[in-house]
Amino acid sequence: MVPPQQDHDLVYNLRLSSVGPGCVTGSDVVHDLSGLDLTMKLHYLKAVYFFSSHAVEGLTIMNMKEAMFYLLNDYYITCGRIKRSESSGRPYIKCNDCGIRFVEGVCDETVDEWLETDDDSKRNLLVYHRAMGPELSFSPLVYLQVTQFKCGGISLGLSWAHILGDAFSVSNFINNWGQHMAMVNVNSSPALAPRSLTNTAKPEAPSEPLSAKQVNHVRDLWVLANNCKMETFSFNLTTQHLLNLQAKIGSVSAFDSICALLWRAIAKVREGFEPQIVTVCRKDPCHDDNNVLGNNQIIRTIKASFLVGESDLNKLATLIANDQGQVYDERNRIEAAVEKDNGSTDYIVYGSNLTFVNLENAGLYELELNGEKPKLAYYSIQGVGDEGAVLILPLPHGSAAENEGEPRYLVNLTLPEGQVFKLKAELKRASLL
Amino acid sequence: MNQRGVATTNGGSGSGSVGVRIQQSRRLPDFLQSVNLKYVKLGYHYLISNLLTLCFIPAIAALSIQVSQMNLDDLRQLWLHLQYNLVSIIICSAILVFGLTVYIMTRPRPVYLVDYSCYRPPDHLKAPYGRFLEHSRLTGDFDESSLEFQRKILERSGLGEETYVPKAMHSIPPTPSMAAAREEAEEVMFGALDTLLRNTNVSPKDIGILVVNCSLFNPTPSLSAMIVNKYKLRGNIRSFNLGGMGCSAGVIAVDLAKDLLQVHRNTYAVVVSTENITQNWYFGNSKSMLIPNCLFRVGGSAVLLSNKSNDRRRAKYKLIHVVRTHRGADDKAFRCVYQEQDDAGKIGVSLSKDLMAIAGGALKTNITTLGPLVLPISEQLLFFTTLVVKKLFNASVKPYIPDFKLAFDHFCIHAGGRAVIDELEKNLQLLPIHVEASRMTLHRFGNTSSSSIWYELAYIEAKGRIRNRNRIWQIAFGSGFKCNSAVWQALRNVKPSSNGPWEDCIDKYR
Repeated sequence: MVPPQQDHDLVYNLRLSSVGPGCVTGSDVVHDLSGLDLTMKLHYLKAVYFFSSHAVEGLTIMNMKEAMFYLLNDYYITCGRIKRSESSGRPYIKCNDCGIRFVEGVCDETVDEWLETDDDSKRNLLVYHRAMGPELSFSPLVYLQVTQFKCGGISLGLSWAHILGDAFSVSNFINNWGQHMAMVNVNSSPALAPRSLTNTAKPEAPSEPLSAKQVNHVRDLWVLANNCKMETFSFNLTTQHLLNLQAKIGSVSAFDSICALLWRAIAKVREGFEPQIVTVCRKDPCHDDNNVLGNNQIIRTIKASFLVGESDLNKLATLIANDQGQVYDERNRIEAAVEKDNGSTDYIVYGSNLTFVNLENAGLYELELNGEKPKLAYYSIQGVGDEGAVLILPLPHGSAAENEGEPRYLVNLTLPEGQVFKLKAELKRASLL
Repeated sequence: MNQRGVATTNGGSGSGSVGVRIQQSRRLPDFLQSVNLKYVKLGYHYLISNLLTLCFIPAIAALSIQVSQMNLDDLRQLWLHLQYNLVSIIICSAILVFGLTVYIMTRPRPVYLVDYSCYRPPDHLKAPYGRFLEHSRLTGDFDESSLEFQRKILERSGLGEETYVPKAMHSIPPTPSMAAAREEAEEVMFGALDTLLRNTNVSPKDIGILVVNCSLFNPTPSLSAMIVNKYKLRGNIRSFNLGGMGCSAGVIAVDLAKDLLQVHRNTYAVVVSTENITQNWYFGNSKSMLIPNCLFRVGGSAVLLSNKSNDRRRAKYKLIHVVRTHRGADDKAFRCVYQEQDDAGKIGVSLSKDLMAIAGGALKTNITTLGPLVLPISEQLLFFTTLVVKKLFNASVKPYIPDFKLAFDHFCIHAGGRAVIDELEKNLQLLPIHVEASRMTLHRFGNTSSSSIWYELAYIEAKGRIRNRNRIWQIAFGSGFKCNSAVWQALRNVKPSSNGPWEDCIDKYR
């Protein structure tokens, strides 16, 4: 029997449109980009949410678009386009209601079939991603792809320019949309007023930031050129793994222990070129307001003064968990460095050092359609530098008796191709894979 | 006073007050003089308008004096005179009665505008500048110079950021199809008609005449059949579908309905004016055809006319005149707005460079015919005097341009584009408040073709400016080249109907 010809791609029938705010924003509304925003311009966040058919019963594309009109009334900044200032060439966002790009697609697999054979390259089909530029004023900042599966379930693929905001902003954005879908009264946000940079005194720059690295000028095409091919893979950490970890490492949080474990494993793989400095990004607890859009996450660098590959896990974990000592909050430094030449140098943050991002309290599973949470919420970063990045995502777990095989965390790593194979072997040895 | 046979043009935009003097004065107008002249002119206008009343009073006075001086003897004399001339008196009164009856029977039946409604499309069809330009670029059909040209036209067009574009044009790439065009037509027409029928409480079975006009989309079965099907109108309805008649077809449809209402007694007529953009977007690079992309937008209106006498109480306006002028006999005017294929075979509507000049000429012809019908006697006398003087004494006197502001209180000029409105404002010497309705409609809704005059009327109503006995002049230009006007008179202080198109945004237009 000849297998049936696949005369179209796995995800086909792509239809594009733009969705803008329901109300006019007005003319000459401008959102200035801070120094921290500008360092993130080469990074993009890709988020995928999978929903079962039960969650989207009775919901049409038109319902989703309608909820978007209301959502975008508040988030009109995401509907703008990048323009460069006449005098200095510094990018800013002109809020001209151009809209976000909305893509519809169809897939012939069911959601469960997809999730079984899920991997990074396959997931790229669910997120319509285009880099910003070369025509910046015609490049949307946000792409949203809704893919219909054979069983009736859908996936939401969001491609978000990091210049707009961090992963916590993305989660807020999509959660707010979920609330509009349910027509729950959402408090419209005064906190989303566009930022205008006044000429404040430039912050003191004691030294160069450790977590942001300069790269070659990219002009108007915002794509990061890596020196080697990067590969992404992910694996689940079950309750059993966590219990084992806790046995080895004392009283630190799960995130810190996972970071320590991975840092040591990667150091072993890169013997001779161990990462002595890592960057850790996590949510700023002060900025807990639900509606804030921006790059507000805490960025810290951690410097190890000893050999990491052979070190004790406990020592590493306490180093990471410590708030003082060799731990620095980098945000002011980055801001100062960028402002020094008014944003004309290009930087990257993720991948300038080995970066760990903690998405535990990003509220990934707060999005609800028809009262149901997503089956899986998956975030990844596009445009990671050569040192690599690791994202720690929570997984929904049953509230009943936690059996030991139940996955609790999803770890998503982006590393140079050559190192991935060796790292997988290393993790197998540590009985994590 | 026969001015119909005179086909002179009323000249350019001279300052009206200087034209009263006989001497040729080429120096700059003396402003102090012209202000004084304004009051003289106003006084003259009031004198002539109330001449009859003014002459009447002394006559009444004389008569009453005579009557009071009469005594019984005089009355007997009067009675004898009557008896002797009985036959002639009877014949005279018979002729009088007969003449009066014939006059009354042949008077045209009044046509009342009971109500009208304009369609306001939903918010997701709005097309702000940025998105319009981005989508145009993404289609890939336009080259750089065409995109730049469209951007410039858009900026100078007078359109705002809230005009509406049909759904098929919002997807990337655009998906124009016959089904999408039908959908746009249905949405617009049914939207307007639903509001109209709800506001007036008229049953669809009472409608005896239906006139629909849509220039660029003419499917089979026609749009009027679509309406008959949706609203289950009655079997013996007189339905008409006017196609291809351009932006002035709204007034043509009203004229047709008016004529039909003279023939068919005691019925309602519904006039639906709309335009269809879905299949008429131009995807080529010929500059003269790109302008309609930037100007035309989604909109439509439905008007309920009646010749029932008891509707006079609830009607908003009465139709006074409709004047239609056609310049198609002139070749240049005929080719002014022309739908054709460009060199690449793409169909578009090309606008010629002398559109403004031809529009000015058509306007002059129209107001030459309209002037005698609507202008007050004072203005007509002035015009006649200057004409006579010019002809007889051959003096090089500037022809007098009648002041239409004295004839009308409100103006609804078809919002063809900012250039058209500016040109008319200059030519007719209108004040900014007169053209405000046209400018604001152009800004809020764009050029909605034949229905724009109804959006403008709705704007004036929403601002609360229409008072009892106010006269409104609707003027529309269209391909052909045609210039049509309709004159309405308000029957009461008109309040805007509910669900009007300006309801939610009139406050932004203060």
